[in-house]
Amino acid sequence: MSTNSQDRVEMFRTMVRIREFEERVKRTFAEHPGVIRGHTHLADGAEASIVGSIAAIRPGDQVMATYRCHGYPIALGTDTTAMLAEIYGRSNGLCGGYGGSMHLADPERGFLGTSGIVGQSIPQATGAAYAAQIRRAGDVVLCFFGDGASKQGAFHESLNIASLWKLPIVFVMENNSYSVSVRVEQEDANAAAGEPLATKAKAYSMPGVTIDGGDPDVVYETVAEAVSRARAGEGPTLVESLVYRLSAHGNSIAPPGVPLHYPEHEAVTVFGDVAEYEAAKRGDPVPRFRGALVTGGVLDAARADAIVAEAADEMQRAVDGALAGPEPEPADALRFVHA
Amino acid sequence: MTASVHRDVSTAAPTPDVLRDLLTTMWRIRAFEERVGALKRADEVHGLIHLSIGGEGVAAAVCRQLRDGDAVYSGHRAHGHAVAKGTPLDRTMAELMGREGGLCSGMGGSMHLVDVAHGFLGATGVVGGNIPLALGSALAAKQRGTDAVAVVFFGDGAVQAGLFTESVNLATLWRLPVLLVCENNGFAEFTPRSAHTTVERVSDVVAPYPLPRTTVDGNEVGEVWSAFSELLARARAGEGPALLECLTHRLRGHYEGDPDRYREAVSTEDWQRKDPILRLQRAGHDAGWLAADEPAALEAAARAEVDEAVAWARSSPFPAVARAAALVESGGAR
Amino acid sequence: MAREITYIAAIMEGIHQEMSRDEDVLLIGQSVGGSPEDPFVAAFGPDRVRVTPISETAEIGMAAGAALAGKRPVVDCTMAEFLLVAMDQVVNEANRFHYMSGGRVTAPLVLKAGYGFTAGWAGQHTGSIYGMFMGVPGLKVALPSTPADAKGLMATAIRDDNPVLFLHHYLLTLETGDVPEGEHLVPFGQAAIVRPGTDVTLVATGWTVHRALEAAEELAADGVSVEVIDPRTIAPLDVDTVLASVERTGRLVLVDQATRHASVSAIIAAEVAEAGFASLRAPIVQVTALDAPIAYSKPMEDFVLPDVAKIVAGVRRAVDVTLPHDAATAVR
Ligand SMILES: Cc1ncc(C[n+]2csc(CCOP(=O)(O)OP(=O)(O)O)c2C)c(N)n1
Ligand SMILES: [Mg+2]
Repeated sequence: MSTNSQDRVEMFRTMVRIREFEERVKRTFAEHPGVIRGHTHLADGAEASIVGSIAAIRPGDQVMATYRCHGYPIALGTDTTAMLAEIYGRSNGLCGGYGGSMHLADPERGFLGTSGIVGQSIPQATGAAYAAQIRRAGDVVLCFFGDGASKQGAFHESLNIASLWKLPIVFVMENNSYSVSVRVEQEDANAAAGEPLATKAKAYSMPGVTIDGGDPDVVYETVAEAVSRARAGEGPTLVESLVYRLSAHGNSIAPPGVPLHYPEHEAVTVFGDVAEYEAAKRGDPVPRFRGALVTGGVLDAARADAIVAEAADEMQRAVDGALAGPEPEPADALRFVHA
Repeated sequence: MTASVHRDVSTAAPTPDVLRDLLTTMWRIRAFEERVGALKRADEVHGLIHLSIGGEGVAAAVCRQLRDGDAVYSGHRAHGHAVAKGTPLDRTMAELMGREGGLCSGMGGSMHLVDVAHGFLGATGVVGGNIPLALGSALAAKQRGTDAVAVVFFGDGAVQAGLFTESVNLATLWRLPVLLVCENNGFAEFTPRSAHTTVERVSDVVAPYPLPRTTVDGNEVGEVWSAFSELLARARAGEGPALLECLTHRLRGHYEGDPDRYREAVSTEDWQRKDPILRLQRAGHDAGWLAADEPAALEAAARAEVDEAVAWARSSPFPAVARAAALVESGGAR
Repeated sequence: MAREITYIAAIMEGIHQEMSRDEDVLLIGQSVGGSPEDPFVAAFGPDRVRVTPISETAEIGMAAGAALAGKRPVVDCTMAEFLLVAMDQVVNEANRFHYMSGGRVTAPLVLKAGYGFTAGWAGQHTGSIYGMFMGVPGLKVALPSTPADAKGLMATAIRDDNPVLFLHHYLLTLETGDVPEGEHLVPFGQAAIVRPGTDVTLVATGWTVHRALEAAEELAADGVSVEVIDPRTIAPLDVDTVLASVERTGRLVLVDQATRHASVSAIIAAEVAEAGFASLRAPIVQVTALDAPIAYSKPMEDFVLPDVAKIVAGVRRAVDVTLPHDAATAVR
């Protein structure tokens, strides 16, 4: 399976849009202090993995993810102003300001939602795959989670059942080597033994592959193959997609009144490993893919710059639209407690 | 899935003395549990009772190699493990009869036996819940710098619980002296393993993790003893955890009173072949270390001991009821 | 047409009828659908009825996910305590989705679990732990005490668009009662006055409703007229029916099998103390389990639980007192 030139340019465009969106989230802390409350988690560095994966599914398929969830809806076509307004807690937000950064949901586009609790959306995605299986429309579920989540019992329980019931699901583990400030080999017996985390698939008699999550073509091919297996009723696959998160785990955590900001990456702040972080920056998947497209003659530099500029414009509009959005009515806090 | 039997370790055979000791222990467990079944039917033991008849070999072969300072955790099917670890029959029986003299003064019952003095740190009734507890004991032993180990018994059903993998990862990562002993009887309550997982062998479930794993015939006591002794030696030497899977067979239903419709009743002949006691006795006769009249004597001694235990338990009063509201918290503090 | 069936049969009938009515209703759990002869598998097929491994987090999490994707799963969790293994999924996931999404998604699912099995099951299998769930926004909790309510509340639970914890009392499993044959729905948040009376209001749930009725019978012989109320669902909780009753009787006794500080009775007591203080002619009396786990040995098990004698004593305590403020009112 492969993508044509136009698809690849679109993948690039989405990667750029995600990056620009995350940059604007980050900048908001400095430019509009106090507008973002609570905790945000950015997808910068994982754009290729997100975009390559989502390029492999079709309408009707569904996606579930974690608190680090801004990239997926963008790739699925969700309006970025509504997303940013949600992160700003405005009533024109995607979820009316009830969810915030960690809890985006856009069911019409197949984004069923997220959990802010590590690993807990894995069984939920597995349940969505159970629903898809018995709906018999050939729909597939993509389940995204991090390396840390694979230490949760929910991971083990869900992969076992998904394999046993041959559910149409692809488990995409975005291994960014960190759980907040803990390195994967500090908490994972496989990693400590120098093995890929995809090794864990063995316990469930399901295929497990480890791929370069910085290359959207590779991600697309791998996930597309897993998706077609799943669609064909052959069951789940564990895809370990190696990425590097280019920002800190999340913005700083402080009591109200103390300005929030994005600290430096934990490689630097906790481990003093500037070299690791610099190397990761050099491997940044967005310029890397741009380079591949330009070198391959798929995209010229001017067109690439235009895509970047368009994304910047879009996200400026998103910021403006989100800032202009009204605050919700306080008493609306009692709506939606029950359906 | 592969039905292979893994042998990650080499084995040494137990001596005749060891085997005789194991046989004695197995008879004590058998006599004890048969009596518990009878007392349950007579309503002298109440609540939910799970018997391990047919699984005595694993309990004996594992626990008889341990010391009081080693911690053992068990689950809902715990009597055999407790007895093999050295809990006194009379106080164990008294617990099952809800008496003051019981191991836990009648407060715990069959699924919550505890005997700290003998290193039986306890049975828990929630499937899989005991596995991380054993990791904790192992961590404590390691931090104290002793060569004590922790052993946890669980069924094949527990392996599908999230706690299991969480624990395997951590035990391996931290090289904890914990031995995970799975009694795979192919059933969790009334459901065959094939309805729970595609992975037939529990030892294959831990295949991704770098720890030794061994599958043995749990009705072949010598085999269990040898495999466990290797893994135990490694753990004592600080080489970390291991998983021992014992293939066993549940002769009784899941619990006492279970109508047991889901499984073909074991034919007597089949059972004669599997019963770990009969098997060891046959092997003993063949190898010449067991005299012809010894089994009957061992059985009689065990039954007499159980009779005494029951008499002792019956003489123990029911606990003072107000005790029920005491002990909710420990009075101690540091 | 009603006929007598057992409480458990009524629950299963409720599920069965809803599954026939709505093909999105699923039934999964460790003790369902294990064999092809299972009546649910036979009726609805293995797509909709599945046995699960002992993986509570996945069972409940999957139910939430299937619900987000349009299904209405019923998870048979066997015993309420097993929910604790998956507490996050119960109190911090499915129940939050509708709210956090600003109403964009719903997670209709039912967690069916037995509780209160005070029959020698000892410390880990006998709790009445609904107090942990009743204050969790987004989650509804039903506690049926009769076969008819069991069927009707189950049907309502399945049709409800929210996660519902349906807790059936194990000691009632084989109790029989008249149950309507066809569609039967019992609304949530509507208490039942199971015995009218004038002197004292007695609120009880589950198995204790029957003990309360026995106590009422005993007290009637002494001329004390007891009104017995069963809230039937504790989230939502019908405080109004209790308040209206207390307005008439002036006295309130609350019976609860839960430990005192995690009981429904404590919540009702607080509500009535706040909103119905003027009606009270005696202090509220709570007859609950003591704040202790359940001991294995029977005499100790009995000691901590409410029973008929304790309820009768509680009512007498309420009836024997007249508050000074009330005496003052009476004089004026
Ligand atoms: C968390 C939890 N879920 C469910 C149960 C109910 N339960 C008790 S024993 C059992 C089966 C366990 O099977 P297995 O681990 O294979 O042990 P076996 O009984 O076969 O020895 C189940 C499901 C429980 N006690 N705890
Ligand atoms: Mg088993």
